Amino acid sequence: MPKNIRNFSIIAHIDHGKSTLADRLLEYTGALSSREMMEQVLDSMDLERERGITIKAHAVRLNYAAEDGQEYVLNLIDTPGHVDFSYEVSRSLASCEGALLIVDATQGVEAQTVANTYLAMEHNLEIIPVINKIDLPASEPERVKEQIEDIVGIESSDAILASAKEGIGTREILEAIVRKIPPPGGDAANPLKALLFDSWFDNYQGVIVLVRVFDGTVSSGMKIRIMSSGKDFDVSQVGIFTPKMQPVEELSAGEVGYIIGGIKSVSDTKIGDTITDAHRPAAEPCPGYKEIKPMVFSGLYPTETHQYEGLKDALEKLRLNDSSFSHEPETSTALGFGFRCGFLGLLHMEIIKERLEREFGLSLISTAPTVIYRVTDAKGNVIFVDNPTTLPAGFLMIEEPFVKVTIFVPQSYIGSILDLCQEKRGTQKEFAYVGKDRLMVVYEIPLNEILWDFYDRLKSLSKGYASMDYEFVGYIESDLIRLDILLNGEPVDALSLIVHRDKAYYKGRQIAEKLREVIPRQLYEVVIQAAIGSKIIARESVKALRKDVLAKCYGGDITRKRKLLEKQKEGKRRMKQVGRIEVPQEAFLSVLKVK
Amino acid sequence: MIQYLYIHIPFCARKCIYCDFFSIPYDEGLALGYITTVVQELDLRKEAAGELKTVYIGGGTPTTVPTLSLIRLIKKIKDSFALSPDVEITIEANPGTIDQKKARALSDAGVNRFSVGVQSFNDYELKLLGRIHSFEDVIKTIAAVRYADVGNVSIDLMYGIPGQTMDGWRHNVEMAVELSPEHISAYELTPEKGTPLYEAMSRGELEKPPEEVILEMYYHAIDRFGESGYRHYEISNFGKPGFECRHNLNYWNRGQYIGLGAGAHSFIGDRRMRNTDDVKRYIEIVKTDSLAIDESVEISCEEAIRESILLGLRRTEGLNIRGCREDLGIDLEPAARELIAKRLLESSGGYLRLTREGIVVSNTVITELFQKLTL
Repeated sequence: MPKNIRNFSIIAHIDHGKSTLADRLLEYTGALSSREMMEQVLDSMDLERERGITIKAHAVRLNYAAEDGQEYVLNLIDTPGHVDFSYEVSRSLASCEGALLIVDATQGVEAQTVANTYLAMEHNLEIIPVINKIDLPASEPERVKEQIEDIVGIESSDAILASAKEGIGTREILEAIVRKIPPPGGDAANPLKALLFDSWFDNYQGVIVLVRVFDGTVSSGMKIRIMSSGKDFDVSQVGIFTPKMQPVEELSAGEVGYIIGGIKSVSDTKIGDTITDAHRPAAEPCPGYKEIKPMVFSGLYPTETHQYEGLKDALEKLRLNDSSFSHEPETSTALGFGFRCGFLGLLHMEIIKERLEREFGLSLISTAPTVIYRVTDAKGNVIFVDNPTTLPAGFLMIEEPFVKVTIFVPQSYIGSILDLCQEKRGTQKEFAYVGKDRLMVVYEIPLNEILWDFYDRLKSLSKGYASMDYEFVGYIESDLIRLDILLNGEPVDALSLIVHRDKAYYKGRQIAEKLREVIPRQLYEVVIQAAIGSKIIARESVKALRKDVLAKCYGGDITRKRKLLEKQKEGKRRMKQVGRIEVPQEAFLSVLKVK
Repeated sequence: MIQYLYIHIPFCARKCIYCDFFSIPYDEGLALGYITTVVQELDLRKEAAGELKTVYIGGGTPTTVPTLSLIRLIKKIKDSFALSPDVEITIEANPGTIDQKKARALSDAGVNRFSVGVQSFNDYELKLLGRIHSFEDVIKTIAAVRYADVGNVSIDLMYGIPGQTMDGWRHNVEMAVELSPEHISAYELTPEKGTPLYEAMSRGELEKPPEEVILEMYYHAIDRFGESGYRHYEISNFGKPGFECRHNLNYWNRGQYIGLGAGAHSFIGDRRMRNTDDVKRYIEIVKTDSLAIDESVEISCEEAIRESILLGLRRTEGLNIRGCREDLGIDLEPAARELIAKRLLESSGGYLRLTREGIVVSNTVITELFQKLTL
């Protein structure tokens, strides 16, 4: 019965208690007893757990007996909590009629609170404010209520005061979901129209897709069609998560659940796509589908060339599970054969790299991440450049992607934050007080500038108090040039980068110094140079290693000396041979570690 | 059957600032009990031994122990093992701990090689190193050993001492050549972690001569000893023909050996073992007729190959290429090609060895070789 269904998400700034609240709701409705419940059951990947970030969306059905005496089905649709995955968040929100907005009673409104709330408002969701962590002595629920009204413009006089950790307010939240969030509309008699909001690859069952059915019904035996591609599949099973997988007869309008249907690759099941009945297709797909494109690119190379095939297999396997990253074979004169990989953002890049190393036992070198530049070459052709080495020599114009960065920061740290934005070539767009002692500043900054250390520095400059969010605004022309790094006179393509002309000299010097620190002494002198075109702008050198010998080695020393040399060899193994120079992995990232 | 025996005597009159060997201050009661215990351990180990080619009594400073105890130990060795007719029996003797009488007694008991820890002929350097002896003691000790008709004397020298100049080192080398011992070990002073020298260097109170000077010192030793009739047969060792230390050569040939005493290492079968270095515990355990082994590690096939290479390349003769192929199953020539092209290794007469340039960066050369052989 759709009228007794409620579909909702939880939106929050990171660490404001979203996962803990989800656990409480599961526990309270008996979906899992506290005994069987591991903490934060919804975050199932190891990496998610370690980083405390929800990467993949999941959906859980909760059965709730409300105070009005009726039984309700509540579908909790979890959303990823990082800006890299904002499209995924938007598709999850599109599957709901309402959202719980969690705000930490001690921290107040933060950048992601605002971003996520606006996203929810765009989808016309009923928003229920919940002020969490009221058990903490430093909590200021009244002040936070004011902030919610002032900053995000949501009536919050009846915001629910809760402590997910202590289980305070759980019942009030469930009641509010039932009373305030409207039941889903749609008609089960119409042709099937289901929004695909997540999918992943399972070794035994193939691709599992998560859908919100808007119209019609889906059941096993049906032939379904993916609307963007027109590909058809036979449904072998439909079901729900309780949170355990549980097959059901059918999923009909208003419901949320999974579909399995002999789909081999997640590239066939793009998030935001619409699933319909192949024999009786819907007239229109669900609105808002777009193909998401990687924003950040980096070359991934095996440290040892013989691992190339292994890397290739691993990338293909990972892509079965994550269609949002791309990989193309690429050759570097310095690093040999590898792949140019595209990611949604830096976190996404780190996750993929970590999974490649951890799950597939690879040792990888990654080049400095770069954005995609839009270049108008000498002939007037527009090309996209995702690798500094492919930047054509004489071009007419180069444009780079800019993002709008929204920062919330206590007044006392504003000075250093403005300096940081300035240093990163930002342009101030907004500057406003929120409450008595906090500010919201909005800057337009080149995406390239916030790729590496921006967030970390923002956090350290503000002693952890500043928060940020960003969104893509578009391409803007910039005065950019290519900075090359030469080792013993040979340019090392993997170390090239595209920088703003005003920063080139400073960066060149900094990078050369950094490389001098990380390249170990070798049998020959290593000369490090930074160059713009043919002009050398910085020079450093690593003195030749002249003496590296063990004075003595008798009966009692043998094991110790062997271990010493074995350790030395292991260190060498992790280095990349560039010409006759051994370059450690960290050198390839050192180009980023300069301001 | 094992033909090489090492006995560790962990007592010293005083600890030198660079020493990371296990040693404790001399205490007569403890020393006497200790020798008795070593004799007892010897009985536990003697079955593994065949006819001995060498016996090496090292330390610490073995000559701190009373003469009679040392003689008793040597006698016990002679009674317990078959000795090869040309057995080499070495004792380490530090200047200031041995006189003519003691040297004669040891020589009569069968010791035929004395290794004298000279380190330097310069009183300032000796004092800085924390040695108990002076230049005068060095001369007296060498004379005493010579008077006792010991025909095989080795001295240890050290270079790279804080404050040492090239001229200072040249002087030490000339003094050594003048004294004309049969064997010379020349080591670079190495500040090992945990030693007072290391601490003083970390605090910036002491500083070694610059790297270029140390290299020049090393090459000077090679050249000067070479032209004075010494064969440079191992990275830090020089001997007149026929006087190479056979006991130490066994280590570099990766031969087996039995080590007795606290902190002594043994290599038996495919296991490397280390006795506890706690003297009191060592005595307690061995008294119950058990071995006092603290650590015993089986050497894997790959580790054995790595050992053979790192030890074999210490000898200037080098690694026998055919031997490596037949005994270890490794093909050195292709692995060494690049290093030969860089003139760090050379191959001739069926042997692969470090060049004059390669010897000073031997760690790098060896690790590259490990890598090439994917060891």
